[in-house]
Amino acid sequence: MVENYAVLPCNGLDKSAGVISGEIAIKLCENEKNEIICPVFYRVTDAKYNKIAGEHPLLVIDGCPTRCASKLAAEKNLKISQKILITEEAKNHHIELNSGLRILENEKSLIEIILNGLNKAEAQHAQSSDENTIQFDFDYETFQNGKFNFRVPKNPQVYYNENDCWAWVFGNRARIGVTDFVQQNLSDILYFTPPEIGAEIDQFGEVGDIESSKALVALISPVSGEVVAINESLVQKPEMINENPYELGWVAEIELADFESDKELLIGFDKYFELMKKKVENTNG
Amino acid sequence: MDKKVKVVPCSGIGKVFGLMAREAALETVIELCPDTSETVCLAYIVTGDKEAKAKIEGCDCITVDGCPKMCAAKNVSLAGGIVIEEIKVLDTVKEHKGKQFGSPTQLDADGETVVNEIAAKIAKKINEKK
Amino acid sequence: MSELKVGILSCSGEECLGGTISRLATRKVLEELKFVNTVTLCLPLYLAGGKEERNFAKVFPTISVDGCDKLCAKKSTEKYSGKINGSVDVSKIIGNDNALNTKIVRNKDLTDEHLQMVDKVAGEIVKAISQINPDSYNGKTFQGCSCGDE
Repeated sequence: MVENYAVLPCNGLDKSAGVISGEIAIKLCENEKNEIICPVFYRVTDAKYNKIAGEHPLLVIDGCPTRCASKLAAEKNLKISQKILITEEAKNHHIELNSGLRILENEKSLIEIILNGLNKAEAQHAQSSDENTIQFDFDYETFQNGKFNFRVPKNPQVYYNENDCWAWVFGNRARIGVTDFVQQNLSDILYFTPPEIGAEIDQFGEVGDIESSKALVALISPVSGEVVAINESLVQKPEMINENPYELGWVAEIELADFESDKELLIGFDKYFELMKKKVENTNG
Repeated sequence: MDKKVKVVPCSGIGKVFGLMAREAALETVIELCPDTSETVCLAYIVTGDKEAKAKIEGCDCITVDGCPKMCAAKNVSLAGGIVIEEIKVLDTVKEHKGKQFGSPTQLDADGETVVNEIAAKIAKKINEKK
Repeated sequence: MSELKVGILSCSGEECLGGTISRLATRKVLEELKFVNTVTLCLPLYLAGGKEERNFAKVFPTISVDGCDKLCAKKSTEKYSGKINGSVDVSKIIGNDNALNTKIVRNKDLTDEHLQMVDKVAGEIVKAISQINPDSYNGKTFQGCSCGDE
């Protein structure tokens, strides 16, 4: 259930996408814990909505790429927690919107899909907040080569293998992914093949792959165990690995089989940082 | 106001996808929609020059971006262009898994195929606006 | 071999021939003439605030290559990263009429005449780089731009 948001739709009347944005905002605010922001009123007077926006995380719903609601949020110096672009959602779900301003069958389907998606995302977020008290606050050391930046987390809970994959170990689980070395060398990552949930993985076994126009790279798990979660957003947006392979582009979570044994073959930040620097220098000169 | 749709590619020089964005935009304005579209230089727009802004402010624009940084889409919008479509080269590239497309200097046959597909998408949007 | 890196911030404008020639000449310098430690910077990203691009140009010597007399690359480098270390104005090399020619061409439609212009401009870029880093050419492969080693 989406709760406690300030919702700013564009509410545009230029096309049905704008009308859909308003409709979604209205439905979300049937839950009293959400607050709607009227974009027209907000342009005229600040006080009421500045207060609301200050008290709630902000969900912006733009109808079309003109992004009027996002622009309004930027003008008011608001921090946006989440954004939806109706035309993009329609495209992703292969729904054709009518050229008028009516909410017809297709538009209703899209509204339902978006609302379900929002509710599901909130539920997952709540569940992971409940289940994991772990905070993945990465503390980076950065190495620069030319204009490439290579970040390496120096948190003691993070371990590395020589295949440039990392594992953040928390309790009996580990979250895993690739380092900046991999994503910088691959350039734009276009495809992500996740592992299966429930799959048993050996240490140094393959746990999915990522592919750019340059190369296909198998992900080599630093740890052994069972895959219990994957980063589903990477399936649609594998480029998040390029954006940040640690916080946004983590690949999977593994329930550990025998970390004490696995650990003996892993390295920590100090060794990995030096190893990565050498690799970068050898690759790029 | 000039009624031609402005097609603005990112033209990123470092990646083949930047070249594809550029070539798709040129294919559209030269071959497919020469009377109803024209291209505008993104770097000139981003300088903030008044003359550059005047070219796109209030005009229908289609942006073509080669990578997720979305330089064209973001900056055309900031400069006051009405972005009616954001084309992402990578969306079309993803439909051609396993292929190579050339280099940032020269496209190969598969690269040209993707460029033609993207240009067709841009032209379709331009024709819808007519 | 010198460890000094040199950045090239090149126009790639689509509105006139000068932009096409700039882009191709810069690519030629990087790919065919095999300059080491030369990095191309993405101009729109630079102008839009790309941190990696701007930081590079602040730290390392940078050359601008402009397709026309608007000099977007030169002016923006001076504005955001300080002094420019070399500047190539394509319109001065191939003539204003050619640079500002709005009959734009796709890569596949380039003529021998266009390719000769590219060679001329590439030669000037090489001169500008050599003035900064005389050791830069030794036949090894180049380092690509921040977008990936293409």
